[in-house]
Amino acid sequence: MVTPIVMPKFGQMTEDSSIVEWLKKEGDTVAKGDVLFLVETDKSVMEVESFSAGTLLKIVVGVGVSVPVQSVVAYLGEKGEIVPATPAPLRTAPAGAPSAPPVAVASLRSGAPVAAAALPASSLPSPTTQAPVSVAPARFRISPRAAALAKDSVIDPHAIVGSGPEGRIVEKDVKAYLAASDYASLRVSPAAKALAAKEGLDLIALRADNADKRIEVADVERAVAEKPKAMSKMRQIIAQRLAQSVVTAPHFYVTVEVDMTETLSHRTRLNAAGARYTVTDFIAQASVLALKELPPVNSATDGKTVRWRSRVHLGIAVTLDQGLVVPVVRDADEMTMAELSARARQLVDKARAGGLAPDEMSGSTFTISNMGMLDVENFTAIINPGESAILAVSSTVKKPVVRDDAIVVRPIMKMTLSSDHRLIDGATAARFANSIKKKLEDNGLWTALTS
Amino acid sequence: MDRFDVVVIGAGPGGYPAAIRAAQLGASVAIVERDRFGGTCLNYGCIPTKTLIASAETFAHVRDAAAFGVSVSGASFDYAAMVRRKDKVVDQLRGGVKQLLTANGVKQFSGTAAFKDRETIVIDGDLTIGAKRTIIATGSTSATPGFISKHERIVESRAFLALDRLPKSMIVLGGGFIGCEIASMAAMLGVKVTIVELLADILMLLDADLRGEVRAHMEKTLGIRVLTGKPLGDIAADANGASGRCGDETLRGELLLNAVGRRPVTDGLNLAAAGLEVSARGFIDTDDYCRTKAATIFAIGDVTGKTQLAHYATAQGIVAAENAVGKKPRRHETLVPNVIFTAPEVATVGLSESEAGAQKRAVKTGKFRFAGLGKGLAAGETTGFVKWIADAESERLLGAAAVGPRATELIATATTAIRAEFTARELGETIHAHPTFSEAWMEAAHALRGESIHAPPRRR
Repeated sequence: MVTPIVMPKFGQMTEDSSIVEWLKKEGDTVAKGDVLFLVETDKSVMEVESFSAGTLLKIVVGVGVSVPVQSVVAYLGEKGEIVPATPAPLRTAPAGAPSAPPVAVASLRSGAPVAAAALPASSLPSPTTQAPVSVAPARFRISPRAAALAKDSVIDPHAIVGSGPEGRIVEKDVKAYLAASDYASLRVSPAAKALAAKEGLDLIALRADNADKRIEVADVERAVAEKPKAMSKMRQIIAQRLAQSVVTAPHFYVTVEVDMTETLSHRTRLNAAGARYTVTDFIAQASVLALKELPPVNSATDGKTVRWRSRVHLGIAVTLDQGLVVPVVRDADEMTMAELSARARQLVDKARAGGLAPDEMSGSTFTISNMGMLDVENFTAIINPGESAILAVSSTVKKPVVRDDAIVVRPIMKMTLSSDHRLIDGATAARFANSIKKKLEDNGLWTALTS
Repeated sequence: MDRFDVVVIGAGPGGYPAAIRAAQLGASVAIVERDRFGGTCLNYGCIPTKTLIASAETFAHVRDAAAFGVSVSGASFDYAAMVRRKDKVVDQLRGGVKQLLTANGVKQFSGTAAFKDRETIVIDGDLTIGAKRTIIATGSTSATPGFISKHERIVESRAFLALDRLPKSMIVLGGGFIGCEIASMAAMLGVKVTIVELLADILMLLDADLRGEVRAHMEKTLGIRVLTGKPLGDIAADANGASGRCGDETLRGELLLNAVGRRPVTDGLNLAAAGLEVSARGFIDTDDYCRTKAATIFAIGDVTGKTQLAHYATAQGIVAAENAVGKKPRRHETLVPNVIFTAPEVATVGLSESEAGAQKRAVKTGKFRFAGLGKGLAAGETTGFVKWIADAESERLLGAAAVGPRATELIATATTAIRAEFTARELGETIHAHPTFSEAWMEAAHALRGESIHAPPRRR
């Protein structure tokens, strides 16, 4: 029986998703539970497993096309079964990109000739002066003998000007180019040449880093390491979201110093009695209370409208090896401190294990980024898109401070609030930051909240 | 107080070349040695063992000469004469080291050096010298575990080499290269040798095929008993010999050689005064430029806890001297040939097959046995093989090993080829003289590429 495979719905907000990679090809045997493809949502990349076994008969939706959730993306069945004719499902590709495979993906892989062909002819410098104007944009033309010589010499023939018809490169051109580049004087170790050939590098462009000016494996390895590589999907998402935030939301920053004596002593007391509170738990709880006092900080704007949020969904930034994620404690304002702490710990553990569901990392209204364990004096964070502020928490360090006109040593922690100035003014940000500070310095509050 | 541009502490195979190189570069140099110039290698290690091994091999050749159609009757040896010859060789070389140092204008001090501060060194507590730069080259010494008591019947390698007669039987504790070299030499001279090694095999740093070849020869041809995977307990000694318990068995021998390993020498240096400390295992940590964490102090050789080989110390010493006198900083070499003078000899360089496996690195290997060489048969030396380890794709030569005749000489070719980044194809295309043992490298390169002329094609 032919079974359609549909684009799953990740999370409540997701309407469109696109496949970033097919891990199975048409004709591949698929076992139940095999990962079929990877999907990019606006938050992350998810693996999609097959619910049944069979043969992947046809892939309907290729890589990089955004389709509505529940669209058919492929068909699974017995080998040889006939796939029903489907109405083309892809109609919601982003504006500007028709249903053809999107340009963005193709251009990642294309070499120089493809890129050149994609440009309008008028924007190209004319390859040779005598070429007739009516000729189509220059295509890369090379004779088989010339290509073989370039390959044997481990050079990139694209830099060579061809003397044949329509700029076709012939063997003579390669030889002239090699002579002009002083190729014969290049000293290359055999293994370095083999590696450069495998990696598609140009020996003439390589530089030797030793007294003998001999290109060695280490030189090729350095060039390989310097070649541009695609960032991980997670990093690409981070890049896109943070750049968007910095460009659209005018950030400004307010820093306050917190005397952590009360918080720390209270935490020590609680944990000695068997609790497992982190410093972040106290900052999170103080932030939730402050957000209820100053609702603009818990809101979001697109520059024209403002969205008030009646609930606090608290994001907590977690560093992973490959990047960072922000798990979200939903309805944090409805929780006791113990509940908030337990939920935060659960989500952070899950994030570190790489098992957060999309709903567990979306919909936050405010975020805390705590770098206290990384020994930093102070830093500023970038607001998550969809929020109006983020709190950057730095290390607690013992410092001399003035209390009652005397110098005493106290554990001091700096925190900096980044705010979206479209919605939040300086006075609001200052009140909010100081509200958190006051709570962290108020032992009576913690006794009340945790007993 | 005399002040020197460079002071080298320790005149072994790392220290004295460092001193000479620094002097060549125009520095005023002093070297301090508390024992004998030439260090462990020249006085108590490489050189004396190789001298005795040469004597033992000569005896074995003469004894077995009948196989070559040479009649010798009543072949015998005088071990005391062998030892005298060894002492003469060592004395000659030691004199050479002192001459070279003097010829290069290096001021020589005998005594124990101790730091007073980063730029001041006190010798034997009374003579103070200034040092703009210091190179620590204090080396290592035999390690004696706590469970081994002090007794004249229990010796480490240095005391063994000073003996003027051989025991009839001997227990060797430790199947590393020192234990196996002395065991091979003694067995060739008729000593009944038992090696006890705690690890699963002797010479564990080698690939299994190399170990197997050496162990088979040591056991079957030399008659050495090899006990592995078990400790030697209840070690005791009396006037007649030493004994120990290995598993259910009690082993006895006229002598027990302790060859469990070596430990770095830093006692008396007063490193703390220079702002230095030793690592948990007692070594002085250095970077690729032989620098310690004190900017004016360098360290080289065994005391740094990297590969403990004389020629590695020499290479580091030269680099340290150049870096100490302010030449463009240079990293020390990392491609270090390793040679073991057992019977048969073993030598390796670069990546081993087991390391490639551990790194999950895809490699190809090519082997050729000496039994397949005209020269091997002509010389009557057919034990062993050579082996290349190359990158699976580019066939870049990454490592090599040889076990058998001249293995310790043959490794030089392989080291040069790997250092020059040869591929197996190029090595295979290089003409090797016939008939020689070195042809084996070319044949092994052909084998690696499946293009053997002198071996049947591999079954597909």
